[in-house]
Amino acid sequence: MSGSLTGIVTHTRKVQSLYKRTLRELENWYADRIAFRYNAVLMRQRFDQNSDIKDLRIAKDLLEKGEAELFNNQHTHPRKFPQSPGGVAFEREVIPPDWVLDYWHPLEKAQYPEYFARRELRKKEFVKMWEEKYGKSSTFTPH
Amino acid sequence: MAGVLVKSFRLCTRNTAKLRSLSTRPLAVALISKCNENIQTISQIKSSSLIPQRLVTPQGRSYSSKPPLTLNLISERVLLVLKLYDKVNPEKLTLNSHFINDLGLDSLDHVEVIMAMEDEFGFEIPDADAEKLMKPADIVRYVGDKEDVYD
Repeated sequence: MSGSLTGIVTHTRKVQSLYKRTLRELENWYADRIAFRYNAVLMRQRFDQNSDIKDLRIAKDLLEKGEAELFNNQHTHPRKFPQSPGGVAFEREVIPPDWVLDYWHPLEKAQYPEYFARRELRKKEFVKMWEEKYGKSSTFTPH
Repeated sequence: MAGVLVKSFRLCTRNTAKLRSLSTRPLAVALISKCNENIQTISQIKSSSLIPQRLVTPQGRSYSSKPPLTLNLISERVLLVLKLYDKVNPEKLTLNSHFINDLGLDSLDHVEVIMAMEDEFGFEIPDADAEKLMKPADIVRYVGDKEDVYD
């Protein structure tokens, strides 16, 4: 997920994103940390050379060229973080959402009386907080 | 045949006390506790001789859990990473100093900081979140929320 929810991404953000992906790509190509750092510094210099271009047309053209270069130099086996999509531990732990607890059978709930008593209190507090912030919700339900 | 099996199984479950006296479990328990004593004495020797200790004790299974985190530990790690970054002046650095306004980093340096944090804590920070993390305190809060650490 890159960019904001409104869909408007400034030029700076685009360059930042390109820079980050470029560095990660370099990490894929150079497993040795020192070799990676050397190439990262060279890459940083290439970015810094064009940092003070005021004409947005030239800047946009350069950005497109950078994206094309990154696309053409993709690694076949990119490194991923374990929990990220494509990583080795992606979705390994499925954490059930909180509302599942509300659908426990009353007999099951009775096994943890203190927890569920406090949970009911917290729910009431949350509803109160919500109504203070957004006002009462309408009672009309279309279904 | 199956009925006989079920019956004998029931018998077994009824007479667990008798079975317990037959089983080798007490012996095993005694052996394990003895082993644990030995391990403890070993670990005492290790700690006295300044060998770096493991964060998770080898006796208990850790189920691929991470070492425990607190907000203090997170902030220490965040500040350490920032201190080791050559463009940050460690004397000016506090938890509430703004990367761009106070520490004088530019936008590409900010990307490098965020990447260093990703490498330090081992998970990806999306660009949409990264643009909001403008102070070390924000990063501490973000990592804490991600790892469910609240104190």
